[in-house]
Formats: sequence, C-alpha cells, structure tokens
Amino acid sequence: MSRYGLFICHCGRNIADTVDVPELVRRFKAEEGDLDVVQDYAYLCSDPGQNMIEEAIRKNRLDGVVIASCSPTLHEPTFRNVAQHAGLNKYKLDIANIREQCSWVHERTPEATDKAESIIRATLARVRNSKPLVPIKSPVVKRALVIGGGVAGIQAALDIANSGIEVVLVERSPSIGGHMAQLSETFPTFDCSQCILTPKMVEVSRHPNVRLYTYSEVEEVLGSVGDFKVRIKQKPRYVKADACTACGDCVKVCPVVIPSEFDMGLQSRRAIHIPFPQAVPAVYTLDTDNCLGLVLLACGKCREACDVGAIDYDMKPKYLEEHVGAIVVATGFDLYDMSHLGEYGYDRIADVIDGLYFERLLSASGPTGGLVRRPSDGKVPREVVFIQCAGSREPERHKGYCSKICCMYTAKQAMLYQHRVHGGQSYVFYIDVRAGGRDYEEFYRRALDEGVVYLRGKVSRVFEEGGKIVVRGSDTVAGGPVEVRADMVVLATPMVPSHGADALSHILKIGCTADGWFREVHPKLRPLESVTPGFFLAGAAQGPKDIPETVAQASGAAAKAISLLANSEIVKEPIVAAVDEDLCVGCRLCVQMCPYNARSWDTDRRVATVNAVLCEGCGACAAGCPSGATRQDGFTDEQINAAIEAILQRIPEIADNGEGSAAEENSVTVAK
Amino acid sequence: MKVGYYPGCTLKGKAKALDETTQYAVGLLGAELVEIPDWTCCGATTPLTQTKIANLIAQTRLLSKTRDAGYDALVTTCPFCFSTLRRANLTLRNDELKRKRMNTYLAEDRRLRDYETPPPDYVPYEGETKVLHLLEWLRDTIGFDRIARACKGSRNETLRVAPFYGCQLLRPAEELAMCDPEDPHILEDFLRALGLQVIGFPERIDCCGSYLSVAKPAAALRASYRILDAARKLGADTVAVTCPLCFFNLDYQQAQMLREYPEFRTIPIMYFTQLLALSLGVPLDKLGLESHRVDPRPVLERVPREVPA
Repeated sequence: MSRYGLFICHCGRNIADTVDVPELVRRFKAEEGDLDVVQDYAYLCSDPGQNMIEEAIRKNRLDGVVIASCSPTLHEPTFRNVAQHAGLNKYKLDIANIREQCSWVHERTPEATDKAESIIRATLARVRNSKPLVPIKSPVVKRALVIGGGVAGIQAALDIANSGIEVVLVERSPSIGGHMAQLSETFPTFDCSQCILTPKMVEVSRHPNVRLYTYSEVEEVLGSVGDFKVRIKQKPRYVKADACTACGDCVKVCPVVIPSEFDMGLQSRRAIHIPFPQAVPAVYTLDTDNCLGLVLLACGKCREACDVGAIDYDMKPKYLEEHVGAIVVATGFDLYDMSHLGEYGYDRIADVIDGLYFERLLSASGPTGGLVRRPSDGKVPREVVFIQCAGSREPERHKGYCSKICCMYTAKQAMLYQHRVHGGQSYVFYIDVRAGGRDYEEFYRRALDEGVVYLRGKVSRVFEEGGKIVVRGSDTVAGGPVEVRADMVVLATPMVPSHGADALSHILKIGCTADGWFREVHPKLRPLESVTPGFFLAGAAQGPKDIPETVAQASGAAAKAISLLANSEIVKEPIVAAVDEDLCVGCRLCVQMCPYNARSWDTDRRVATVNAVLCEGCGACAAGCPSGATRQDGFTDEQINAAIEAILQRIPEIADNGEGSAAEENSVTVAK
Repeated sequence: MKVGYYPGCTLKGKAKALDETTQYAVGLLGAELVEIPDWTCCGATTPLTQTKIANLIAQTRLLSKTRDAGYDALVTTCPFCFSTLRRANLTLRNDELKRKRMNTYLAEDRRLRDYETPPPDYVPYEGETKVLHLLEWLRDTIGFDRIARACKGSRNETLRVAPFYGCQLLRPAEELAMCDPEDPHILEDFLRALGLQVIGFPERIDCCGSYLSVAKPAAALRASYRILDAARKLGADTVAVTCPLCFFNLDYQQAQMLREYPEFRTIPIMYFTQLLALSLGVPLDKLGLESHRVDPRPVLERVPREVPA
C-alpha cells in the first residue's frame, strides 16, 4: 500500500491566525488509511522545515506528499527539490494553497478551517492519482534576439554580443537610436544625448556578433525557451543598402514634402529620406505611404538621380527565419497623445507643445539648430510655461501613474531654455517635484537657483489672448489663483507603451499590465524576466524609466539572457500533453486548437502527436479531445475528477446521496 | 424610439421662456416633443443626500412612470433635471441593492396610495428609460446639420455669441458622459449650426456662482461679474446659457453688478433655445424676452434679420 505525508505550514501568523492548524492536524491524524505522516511547522520553507520534510519522506518511505502552504508560484520548486533530494519523484509532491486561497481572504472562522481542509483533501486526492514524471530536456540554441533598437535594445545587444553570443537586433524604423536620438541634453549632467548614443549605435552595427535588421518587424515567434523560431519581416526600403553611398542626390529631386516624424513635424522631409544625419544604417529609405508611386510613369526622379543605381522599385518584403534561445524585449515608449488634453488647448493653440517637441527645439541637430523658436511664427519666446503631470496622476480622465521622468526633464528643459534665451523666464506648474536618484534633487535645486519659477498647483485653463497664451491655475503655496501670460506652453505628457506593444505581446505571448506595460514575474525579485520563460524585459517597455535606469536594466536583462544561454540544455517541466494512440480517432481537433504548434498529425501512423518541447501545458487539447485520447500529465482527468469528488464528498447533500455516486456523476460533468 | 418631454418645475415658472422656445423651435424643425402625463418633481438635489430611501424615490417614480406610459426616452431641457435624472438612472442600473430598495418601496407605495381603482401590477424599474438632454437629442436625433439647413437664410451671422456651459451639463463627467468636461464643444457646435458667430470663450466652463447667490451673494456676484466682464471684453453681443440658475445669476444680477462695479456694462443673456427659435425665424415678441432684466432686443434688432422661407 502507498504511504502519503501531509505537512501544514503556519506561515508565521499568515495562515495560523485564520486557519486552526492544530485542529487540522487533529482531523487528519484521526483518519484511518494511507496518510502516514501529518506534521505542522511555523515556516516549512525554512531550513529546519525543509529538513523535517526530507527526513519524514526518507524515514517513512513516502510515495506522495502534500504541502499545505502558500501559492505554488512561490515555493513549489523549493519543496519539489526537497522531495527529489529525499528520493521521491518530485511530481509526486503537490501544494495545497491555503494562504492566498484561504487564510488571506477569510476571517478566522470555523468555515475557514473547513475550507482549508477541503483544499487539502482535494490536493491529497490529486497526489494519490498522480504518476511520477520525468523532466523534459532540450538543447539550447546559443543565440539571442533583441526586439527594439533604442538605447535599451542597443545596450542589451552589445552586452550579449560581447559575451561571445550571437545577437539578432530587430528595429522597426529605418534607423536604430530610438527616442534617445531625439533628445537634446540629458539630466542631471547636461551631456549631449546624441554624443553619448551615436558611438553605441555605430558599435552595435559593426559588432561581428550582431546581426542588425532595421525597418523590420517580428511577425511570428514559435517554440519555447531555449529554442525559438522567429519570423522577421524586412520591409522593402527600395534602396539597396550595400549600394547606397548616402550622397543625398535622391532627396534633392524628390517632389514630395511631408512633416518629419523625427523632428515631431517641426521640419519637413521628402518621401525618400534618412531620419537624421547620424542614422544607422546610413541608408536612404523610400516611404511608400507618401511616394508618388513606384510606377516610373508617375515620378521616378530619384532613380534617375541615383548615380550608383541603388534605387530598386521592384524590391519586395523579405521574410527571414532566425533561430534563437532567448528574447529580450526592449520596445520602449511613446508619449501620451496631446490630443487627449483639450483642456490645455493643444488643438487650438499652435504654441502648446509636448516635451519631445521641445527637445527637438533645444537640440543642436534640430530644425532651429538649438535656438528656441516657437512653432507658430518663429519668434523667440520670452516666457515659457511648463505644465507637469499633463495627463499623468489623473486616474479619472487620463493615466493614473506617475511618469517618473517628467520632473527631471522639465527642470532640465526650463534651465536649458533660460541658458539659450537670455532674459527668458520659465515657469513650472507642478503637483510634487519627485527628484529621487543621485544628484537629482541637487539638479532641481539648481533650477530654482537659476530662477526657474516653480508654482505648486494644477492648471485649469489655457487660452489665447492678445497674442499671449494665458495659463490660469492655482498656486496652493500662496493660496490663490495665479495667471501667467506666456509665449509658449510645454506639456510634460506621460510615457505610454510604444504603439504596437499590445500586438507584439500577442505575438510573443507575454503578459502586460492594465496600462499596457510588459509585466515582470515579480516586481522586486524577478524584475527582468517576463512571466513566459525565455523572455527578458529591458527599458521603458516595462514601465517609465530614465536613461540611466534603462541602460542598467538592459544590462541586467542581457546578463539574464546570457546565464540562460550558458546552459547546454534546458530542463522543462513535464507538465505537457500526451496521447493514448489507441484511443485517437484522428479528428485532428487538437492540431487546430494548439496555440503553440506543439500538436501535429502523423500522416503515416494516422494519429495525433505531441511535440513535448513546444508544448506549454495549457491543457486546451486535453480538454477538447472528444475521445479522451489526449491527457495532460500532472493534470489528468483522474486527478481532477478525484479532486472534485473529494470536495463534493464534504457537502452533506451530495455525499449522503448514496455512496458518492452522485458525486462521481457530478465530477464527470464538471470535468468534461 | 418614442421620446417624452419633461420640462420640470422651473420651466413652468421662472424659466418659462426656455420651455416655450423649446416647444416652438422643435415644432419648426418638423418634430414634436410631447410632455409626459402627470409628471412630478425630478427630485432636484435629493440624490446628493445620504439617506437610504428618500434620495431616489422621486427619480425612480418618474422614470418608471415614463416607461409605463410607453416611452423609451425622456428629454429634459433644464440641466438640473438632466443631471439628477441621468445620475439616478445610472445608480439604479448599476446598484442592485438601491434598485431593490426603490422597487420594493414603490410597489408597496402604489398599493397604499391607489384607494379607488385596483392598482396595476408594479413592474420593477431597472433603468430602462433613457435620459437625454435636449442638446443631445437635437444632435443625435434631429441632427445639427439638419438644424443648420433649417436656419439657412436667417441673417444672424453677425451676432457674436459667447457659449456658457454651467456645471450641471458637464460634471460628474463619468456619470453624465455628455462630453469632455475640460474641453466641451457641443454648445459651440450647436450655435455654429445656427449660423451664429461663436467666440472662443475661456470662461465658458467657469462657475456662475450657483446657489451662493443665496448664502454668499457677494461671492456669487463676483463670479458672475468675471464671466460677463470677460465676455464683454472678447466682444460678445450676448452670452448663451442652458441653465435657469445660470440665467438668474448672469441676467438678474446685472443691476447689482452695475452698483458694485462702476465700469461694468450690461450684456444680454439668451437661452440656447431662444437662439434656436430666433434663427428659425420666430419673431422677437414670441421669444419670451420680456422676462429678461437686460433687454436683448436692442442687440437683436441691430442685427439685420430676415425670416427664412
């Protein structure tokens, strides 16, 4: 006969305050049957607690163990390792979650203890019906993919490449560099953003271990940790990268003039263009949305002008397949669209702009060469109002979170403006100034010392009057309304996830927060990993971050990827689908249902098969299989039915209904 | 969708002009708003109280009666009625406990009150009746473009109008869902459809002083004065309002403003429905202008007019 053990954790007072643990021990000890060991302990996850379990397994030669404690997401690996160490197949150990699913959500009542008992009984039933399983091992592809070519992606790619591992870096726009390439000077040191970024851009593009795909997007990712197959679409530039000498002759003849995205529309570009002078790769791109047509009859001027014959109107999108073991997601951010902020007059007043616009006005490479001129008439503004938290910290109408970087970049912009325009005056409306970080508070103090006027309060109204922009708000320090007549208004709009991040999360099958940021496994202890194994998060794709933090996190994500790829093989949980081939009727429903391409049809043997390496154990095929041929190891029908039956047995109306036959029927209906 | 019209108490008294011009104008637009039978008080400010039963009875009774009379929606012109009914309706739709309380009370109430005829079965009210403001109905059912066509030929385009929203149409925005409370445009769109010159008016969402005109008259007067002073400085001929209380504060109080602020110059106030009727060609003597303290006729007569065919 098999022997089982039950260990109940007090979790300090977390469980014991609500659930009567001694009573539970008494109830299970009083039982006749196969439960040989029933023990409780203050902290089972502690070293003595683990030793106690290990000893009990060895001494009593237990065949299965239930740990009644916290959620399996926390300590299942811990206790399964203990079981393995004691010589028990670790899949014969299961967790009954009586903390998150019982003590934390209930008051101390007899019912809470009863519920804990039900959970434990169900888990015992699962363990009694479980089978020993063997972990699946698969080889690791020693290559990495980095999605997004901003500073986070560049840093992660460089770190991985420098460790000797080959990296595929994919960027959807024509050049790498991201938003950092658009910035003027950076806080808190006033060093030029492009000056520190462009060497990295060049380095990554020339690195022997980096394969760079610009103007490309990830279309499909198949496989799982250690072995991903990635399909990349390279959009046609209509300019041959190897032939183009970046001479710019084509631009001179292009008749289409449109606002430049890089310069936030403050400057124009042609349909054939290079985003900015330091772009990497330094290759022109023909933007077909605006080109007069790729038909020679329509235009064809750029092709005529190109001496080296680099322009090819017949270029088609290229689809490339890359094989990698780890993926770093570094897709960055966008700014919250100002058109949501009608109250600040964005749609009515030309000189109401956002922080990124202002960066281009301050940038030496910008449309004004770094001279601050307002967009409406090109005049030098004498008074500029900065509005912080324009759309952030406003859960009712906009974004509830703090965008984190705005206090510092506003202080920087307010100072830079006063440096550039002598006699100019900056005003900053703020709720709080959040200057956490080394040298940040000092930087803000410097802004105050330099005469930037900080007004604590919200802005209620922005409107034009007599050639000025009137900004009306409250000054909660002075305790009254305040009005500033300005020439230009800069809104510190919040960072939001980059457009397309949502679609990408579906392609990669990784989770997001309610605000659309990519979610980490644990906010404190595993901040660099996505919940889906093999994906690492870098930079603002995970939440608002400034440059130092972005770079630090990118290096961290790279280190995580490297440590994954340093293994020769990946050990995968054997919680996967399996097929009883005798029962398979060949309907192929499972093949259609599988979201991971793990199910396929064996045409020779005429049965459905499982690729255990690709299988993520979601259970869709096992639930859908009409003949019962597919089972889900670790979650078989026998286990689930037994668990349900164990709970139903505790409901008197059902249990009394004749030897549990009703329960059996019920369990079948629930499971199917 | 069968729509009933709910004027509310003020529109039968002090703000008669608002009611009459609404009916007149809607008729000229080829539509009809029929007053719902036996209407009772909208409940005014009762939803703001914290009582369990009394604060929603008036609204539930009115809305369920509207439904029982065979209407799908109810249109109000007074923003106070609009706000209180729309918000109460939302509460009834979303709060099961409050809905249960109201329906239990009203089922009992009907049985107790009906002494002579046997009471019809009370059907629990679950928020079925739609509550609309006249502006929304004009926009969504009649259509501003249709209004624009009907007003074509009226020669009012030299009339400079400052739109003034007041508070009840806009907030709480999540509940009323009328338009962006910080940057609304429905009134501007409406006035433009009438062919009027709409001026950009930053004070359009300020507070008129509201009930402070009773408790702290000086503060209310200052608030109203600022609005009118700004409108005058922006060159407005008139200020368009939607709300009887705004009208009272902005129009009736101008005599007092003249005493308090020597440089103040009067400016006529018009209900948006009066402007609609005016643009549809209703003669001046039918607009209820005699009830205004500041006579708009000199301004309106200055504007060359022609009745559209």
